[in-house]
Amino acid sequence: MPELGRAALVVTLGLSLFALVAGTAAALEGRRRLAQSAQNALVASFVSTAVAAAVLLSALLRNDFSFEYVARTTSRALPTAYTISAFWGGQEGSLLLWLLILTGFATAAVHLNRRWARDLIVWVVPVFAAVGSFFAFLLVAVASPFATQAATPDGAGMTPSLQNPYMLAHPPLLYLGYVGLTVPFAFAIAALLSTQLDERWLIATRRWTLFAWAALGIGQLLGAHWAYVEVGWGGYYAWDPVENAALMPWLAATAFLHSVMIQEKRGMLKVWNMLLVLLAFGLALFGTFLTRSGVVNSIHSFTQSSIGAWFLAFIVVVVAVSLVLVFLRLPLLRSPTKLESPVSREAAFLYNNLLLLALCLAILWGVVYPMLSEAVRGEAVVLGRSYYDFFLRIFGLPLLLLMGIGPLIAWRRASLRTLITTFRWPTLVALATGVLLLFLGAGSSIPGLVAYTFSAFVLATIVMEFARGTRARMALGASGWLTAFTSLVARNRRRYGGYVVHAAIVLLAIGVAGSNAFDSVAEAKLERGQSMRIGDYTLTYRSLSERAGANATEIRATLGIRRGGRDLGTLQAGKNAYTVEQQVSNEVGIRSDRLTGEDLFVIAEQIDPNGTVYFRVFVKPLVNLIWLAGLVFLIGSVITLWPDRREQRRLVARAAQVGLPATR
Amino acid sequence: MARKASPARLVVALVVAAVLAVFLLYTSIAGGGNPSIAPSELAGHADTVQLAGVVVGPVRGDAHAGGLRFRMKDIGGAASTAVPIVYTGSVPDLFKVGRHVVVDGRLRSGTFVAEPGSMITKCPSKYAPKRRGDSG
Amino acid sequence: MTVALVLAAGLAVACVVAVALPFLREPEPESDVLDELDPEERKRLELLEARDRALAALKELEFDHRTGTVSDEDYRAQVGVLRREAAAALRELGGRG
Repeated sequence: MPELGRAALVVTLGLSLFALVAGTAAALEGRRRLAQSAQNALVASFVSTAVAAAVLLSALLRNDFSFEYVARTTSRALPTAYTISAFWGGQEGSLLLWLLILTGFATAAVHLNRRWARDLIVWVVPVFAAVGSFFAFLLVAVASPFATQAATPDGAGMTPSLQNPYMLAHPPLLYLGYVGLTVPFAFAIAALLSTQLDERWLIATRRWTLFAWAALGIGQLLGAHWAYVEVGWGGYYAWDPVENAALMPWLAATAFLHSVMIQEKRGMLKVWNMLLVLLAFGLALFGTFLTRSGVVNSIHSFTQSSIGAWFLAFIVVVVAVSLVLVFLRLPLLRSPTKLESPVSREAAFLYNNLLLLALCLAILWGVVYPMLSEAVRGEAVVLGRSYYDFFLRIFGLPLLLLMGIGPLIAWRRASLRTLITTFRWPTLVALATGVLLLFLGAGSSIPGLVAYTFSAFVLATIVMEFARGTRARMALGASGWLTAFTSLVARNRRRYGGYVVHAAIVLLAIGVAGSNAFDSVAEAKLERGQSMRIGDYTLTYRSLSERAGANATEIRATLGIRRGGRDLGTLQAGKNAYTVEQQVSNEVGIRSDRLTGEDLFVIAEQIDPNGTVYFRVFVKPLVNLIWLAGLVFLIGSVITLWPDRREQRRLVARAAQVGLPATR
Repeated sequence: MARKASPARLVVALVVAAVLAVFLLYTSIAGGGNPSIAPSELAGHADTVQLAGVVVGPVRGDAHAGGLRFRMKDIGGAASTAVPIVYTGSVPDLFKVGRHVVVDGRLRSGTFVAEPGSMITKCPSKYAPKRRGDSG
Repeated sequence: MTVALVLAAGLAVACVVAVALPFLREPEPESDVLDELDPEERKRLELLEARDRALAALKELEFDHRTGTVSDEDYRAQVGVLRREAAAALRELGGRG
C-alpha cells in the first residue's frame, strides 16, 4: 500500500507541473482546449492527493507499523480519534494535509468562478499549480509520509499533551486558514498577469478571504483555550514564535478585509491591496516555515530538517516574482480617486490598516530578531513578553477605539458637527464607565482601564448602529422591531455581520484586559487539611487520590472552595502519568464563575510522596469573555459569509451583458 | 475638475513617522532582550542570559524549597560542557534528563542561578507549548 | 503489493484521460481561441462596474442618512455629486449601445 501512496503523490506532482506549464502556455496563447486541460489537471491533482491521503489514513487506522510515519506518531493503545489526528501531528502528514486542502480549494475556487471570472481563471490555474507543485515536490522528494520500515510490534505513541479534542480541531482549522489565503493570492497574481485589474478578483475571492480569516481566528482561539485548559501554565498566549506565526497572517488578512472595501466602493488603494494580499500569503507560508525549520528557538518546532531551507527559498521566489509583477503593472494600478479628507471612513480604514500593519510588523520583528542578531552579532537575542505587550497596547488600544469610530463616519468627508452629534452618546457612556471602574479599583492598571473604557465606547456605538438601523427600517414600514431587525441584518449582511464580529473583538479585548491587567496569583505548600487564601477565595486541601485511567495513572488533589463565607464546592487538580510515553502531564483545576466570568485556576505543581502538594493559584477576572468572544466571532463570520443571492444574480447579469461566456 | 492637494500623503507620512518614533522610543528605553546562548558559551557572560541546552542528571532538590539542582550541557555537545544550574519556581511537566530546556538567569560563582519560573521545555516534533511560570 | 500497483496504474490512466479529455472530445474544433474579452467588451465591463459602484454609493448614502450617520446638510452636499456620477456612468453606457 505505501507504493500506492507514493505513486499517487508522484501523479500529483506530474499533474501540478503539467497544469503549471500548460496553463501558462494556454493563457499566453489563448488556447481554449489547453486551458481546459490544465484546469482538469488541477482537479485531477486533488483526486490523486485524496488517494494518497486515504492511504495514509487507512494505514493509521489499521495500526500498520510498517509505515515509518505511523510507527512514529501512534501506538496501539491510542484512542481512534487521536489516531486520526496523528495524520497532521507529524511533519510529513501535515504537509500532505496542506496539499490536500490546497488542491481541494483550488478545484472549488476555479469551479465556482467558472462562469463570470472565466478570463481570470485561465491564469489562476497555473498559480495554484505552482504552489501545489512545490508542496508535491516536498512530499515526493524531501519528506515522504510513505517511508517504510520493518514493521515494529507497537508504535512510539503520541505525546500526552496532544491527546485531547483540541488536536482534532486546532491544526486543521489553522491549515484551512493558511491554505485559504492562497485563493485571494492566486487571483491577485492572475489579475496582475492578465491585466484584469478591476474589482473582479476582489469580489471573486471576498468570501474565501473571509473564510480563511475566520478559520485562522477560531483556530487561534482554540489554540489559546487548549493552552489555557490543557497545558495549564496559567496563561493562554505566550508570544511564542509559532503562535505569532498564525497571528501575523491573521492581522494582515484583517487589514486586507478592510482595505478591500475601500477599493470596492471608491476604486482606491489598488497597489496597497496587492501588497497586502501578498503579505498575508507570504506570512502564511512563513508561518508554515517557522513551525518546521527549527530556525527559531521555539517550543513548538518540528524536528530540524532541510525542509526549512526549501520553504525559505520558495517564499523568496514567491515574494520576488509578485513584487516584480506589481512593479510592472504599476501604471495600470493607479486609481483616479484620491482621499478627500483625513476625517472620513476611507481615512479611518486607512488608519486601521496602518495600525494593524504596524502591530503585525512589530511582531514579525520580534520573531526574526534572534535570527538577525545571531547573523549580525553572532549572538541570538530573544525579545521577551514585555516587548510584545508594549506594542500590543500601543497599537491595539487605538485600533480598539477606531473600531467604534470607523463605522459611524461617512464616506468621503464627515463634518465636525455630525461627528459631535453622532459620538455624543457613546462618549458619555464610555466616560461614565471609566469613572465607575475607577471607583471600583480599576485604576491599578492604566492600560486595563483604558481598554475597558474604549470597549464601552465601541459597544455603545454597535448598539447604537443596530438601534438606528432597526428604527430606520421600521420607518420604512416593517411590522415590528423584530421583523425590522432581522430584515435589516438579512439585507445588509456584510455591515451587520461585521458589527457582530467587532462586538466579538471587543469582548476579546475586555477578557484579555481583565485576565492580564487585573489578575492575581498565590502559591503555597499545603498538607492535608491546610488552607490558602487568594482574593476572596479560601481553598482547603482535603485529599489526594490515585486511579488508573485508559493509558495513564491519574493523581488528583481535591480542594474545597469557599468565598465570602459561602461554600462553592470542590475542585480537583493534579497530574497524569502516561505509561507508554513515559511522560507526566499537568491537569489543572478550573472553576468558572458564571456570573462574573472569572476563573479560579489551580495548578498542583509538585506532589510529594508524603501527600504534601505545592499549589499555584490564579484568579483571572473576565477570562471567560475570551471564549464567549469566539462564539460571537463565529456567529458574525457566518452572517457575513452567508451567500447573498441578489448579489450573485447581479454579478451574473453583469457578466452576461458583456458577453462573458455563461457556461463551459 | 481641479486637483486639490490630497491630504492623504501627509496623513500617511505622519502616521508612519509616529509609528517609527514609538518603535525607536521603545527599543531605546526598554533595551533589547536577553542573548540566547549554549552552556559552553556561558563562561564569558556576566549578564542575564537565556541558556538553551540539554538536561543532565543527577537531578536533586526541590524547586519550591531550596532549589532544584541539575546540570545543562550543549545540545549535541560533550558532557564536558555541562554547567551546574539551580532553579526555583514552576517546573514544566516535560522536564526530565535528556530534555531540551531553556532557562533565563545569570552565572554566579560557577553556578547558573535561574530566574524563578523562567524554565521552558522544548517539545520536539510536536505542536503544543510547554511552559510555566508565566501568567496571562 | 500488486493491488497497490494496479490501483496506482488505474489512477495514472484516469488522470491522463482527464487531462486529454478536451482534446479527445473536440479533435477538430471550429475555434480553439480562448473566450477572452476584447478591448471593447473590457471597456464596457469597466463602465458597468463604474455604474454599479455609483449606484451602490448612492444607496449607501441614503441608508446612512436614514440611520442618522450622515446629517441632512452632509446628505444634501453629497447626494448631488453622487447622482451626477451615476448619471455620467449611465450616459456613457448608453452611448455604447
